[in-house]
Amino acid sequence: MTSALWLASEPALLPSRIQMAFTLAYHVILVPLGVALPSLTLLMEGIGLVRKDAVALKIARRWSVVMAVQFAVGAVTGTILSFEFGILWPRMMGRFGSAFGLGFAIEGLAFFMEAIFIGIYLYGWRRLRPRTHFLLGLALPPAGLLGAFGVLSSHAWMNTPGGVTLDAGKVVDVDVVAALFTRALGYEFWHFVIAIYMAAGFTVASIYAVAWLRGRRDHYQRLAFAVPFTVAAVLTPVQLVVGDLSARALVQDQPAKFAAMEVTWQTRDHNPEVIGGWIDGSGQVHLGIAVPALDSVLVGYSADAVVPGLTSFAADARPSIVEVNITHLAFDVMVGLGSAGAALAAYYLWVLLRRRRLPDSIWFYRLAALAGAGCYIAVEAGWVTTEVGRQPWIVYGVMRVSDAVTMAPAAFVWTSLSFLVVVYALIAYFFVSLLLRLAARWKREDALETSAPEEGAPYGPRPQRFPEAGEAGS
Amino acid sequence: MAGLTPTLIAFALLLAITAYSTAGGADFGAGIWDLLAGNSARGREARALIDHAMAPVWEVNNVWLVLAIVLCWTGFPPLFQAAFASLYPLFTLALIGLILRGAFFAFRHIADDPRAHRAADLVFGISSVLTPFFFAASLGAIASGRVSAGEPSESVWSASFNSMSVAFGLVSLAATAFSGASFLVGDARRYEAPAMIDYFRRRAIAAALILIAIGSGALVTIGIEAPSLFRSMLAGPGLPFALLTMVLTPLVAVLVWRRVYRWYRVLTVAAVGSMVFAWGIAQSPYLLPGQLTISQAIGPFSTQVLLLLVVAALLLVIVPSMGLLYYLDQRSELESP
Repeated sequence: MTSALWLASEPALLPSRIQMAFTLAYHVILVPLGVALPSLTLLMEGIGLVRKDAVALKIARRWSVVMAVQFAVGAVTGTILSFEFGILWPRMMGRFGSAFGLGFAIEGLAFFMEAIFIGIYLYGWRRLRPRTHFLLGLALPPAGLLGAFGVLSSHAWMNTPGGVTLDAGKVVDVDVVAALFTRALGYEFWHFVIAIYMAAGFTVASIYAVAWLRGRRDHYQRLAFAVPFTVAAVLTPVQLVVGDLSARALVQDQPAKFAAMEVTWQTRDHNPEVIGGWIDGSGQVHLGIAVPALDSVLVGYSADAVVPGLTSFAADARPSIVEVNITHLAFDVMVGLGSAGAALAAYYLWVLLRRRRLPDSIWFYRLAALAGAGCYIAVEAGWVTTEVGRQPWIVYGVMRVSDAVTMAPAAFVWTSLSFLVVVYALIAYFFVSLLLRLAARWKREDALETSAPEEGAPYGPRPQRFPEAGEAGS
Repeated sequence: MAGLTPTLIAFALLLAITAYSTAGGADFGAGIWDLLAGNSARGREARALIDHAMAPVWEVNNVWLVLAIVLCWTGFPPLFQAAFASLYPLFTLALIGLILRGAFFAFRHIADDPRAHRAADLVFGISSVLTPFFFAASLGAIASGRVSAGEPSESVWSASFNSMSVAFGLVSLAATAFSGASFLVGDARRYEAPAMIDYFRRRAIAAALILIAIGSGALVTIGIEAPSLFRSMLAGPGLPFALLTMVLTPLVAVLVWRRVYRWYRVLTVAAVGSMVFAWGIAQSPYLLPGQLTISQAIGPFSTQVLLLLVVAALLLVIVPSMGLLYYLDQRSELESP
């Protein structure tokens, strides 16, 4: 029997984890622009309407095209993810689908609304009165937030499962409200939503920071830089507080993850805060900078506060040493980049409020140009922290990743993973060249006004004229 | 009440699958015609029309797919687990098509080199065949009774690849080609391209005939492989829908043949939709024939209520906003520059 051979072959745990991590890490890149860019676009459109500023309206109209292109890519990578839950983790879905899946049902509704209203927004530029267009666009930010709520609710459920009644391991009843609003949702939601608004703001602004460095100093550049950068700068200090609250909540909710983040080996008071470095299998920390008792102070506002250590969990119920080190370094990268962003934001807000103008230092714009990439690295690092730090559990304390994984042979998953890596690389290449083309087209159009930017974009209106056969695709 | 909600959720799942088959089908069908257009001057013109007609709805049909999958895993977790444990090769192949299609539809808009453009056309066309075939094949595999509840009882390959899955896959290719051609007739009319109207008119008629032939063959396969499904399709609750699809498919062909350009697109959707219904209604109350019923697979009651609320909200929000989008699209014709 071929099936007997298959069962005897290597389990697909490792390739399945890599494939899930890869496709999720990729999709997370698209999320900030997908959820937060509509708000920035609407803000810009609002400024344009209130101040009767044609330049602001032009910027908003162009951003709406980027929004649609990236939404189309996100729709594909998101669909792949939902199928991967079945292909890679069928036993988790079979056992907990009725609780874990609830958030995704809400996300499905939000996805629908976003798809339709992005279409309406793009069509409406030319065919609706400006005020009506703006008001209909206001449906987009709540739809994006509802989608984020759904996904984060499901994710929080994996971290702090609740709302289910189990009988011999089977779900017999679900308390919908308790399963949707688990403990982790409160901090995960705000931490992530602020993170993606920051990432979108810094990323969009970084493009116009580069324009500044290249010598562009007109109203268009100033406006397109200042609006997103101000939004991100205002949110950055808020994020420091929310991030701190999240980390502190982990001490109660997911102590093993917290111990991994802080490389704490033994449960103790006067626990130092270790920055950088790594831990070995015997609990020794190498090369880190240890600030005495700071971790205890951060957790309990006192050096006497007791912080849980990794050894208080059985070796098979906590992350492995490699996973602990990944979690720790990812956490440090996230906090480090967040602090750097906060410093940059503080300088910007100081100049803005004291001198009533935008900064004009070349170093500020060099750092602002890097802030976009920095934010993406921070978002990825934060996601690695929460996912790797939960290992070996897929549902914290209830179900192991190895008990959820598919029965498919490893070779099958390795093959699909290799394929996805190649195709996702192609998509990234197409996506970037499409954006570069749009940028080049807009540069040309700034010289002479021609067609509307949203024409022919995904979800956008059809061009008014049917092209001749020869020029298709040009 | 407790007996009604599971049925409603199963019905919503069937509706989502039907919406994907009809709306997505027209889209995939356009991709199939793109693949078959060849490289002649007319082929290039047809491809330009297809491109033009598809651009605004690029990938929007994924919402139906996501809705179906979410209803399945939250509403009927054991069905979801069983289907994926047995049929993961089919779903993986369908996904490969889905992702290649999205990527290369974008790529052919940016490819400058004619050879790269031709390669992009080819990948796009082939992936438009893969996705509908393998999604429909998974429904055929389920209908064959080879997907067992719980852990798979037979090899994944024999559950995934058998005469039923192939029959369902082929029917879906013919059906998508049929609806694709029918909708492209409409697009050609809209853009006033008379040569293209005739081009897709002939293809819609040919696809209708092929669909009737393949559909009859599939019915014979069902008769041999899944006799109880066959009985409820032709002598049970599936009958009205089976009859409807048998009447409507040739009717659309006749309308298009006689150049009566009224109702043909609505009837195309109805023909393909009733085909999906004929299978779905006939197979109920079984989700996995002979093994798992709706009431056995359904999740807890509170989950059912939430799912129904989501579906109701969807209908309340989606119908008016889709209407608005359609209105805006149509107004462009009245407002030509």
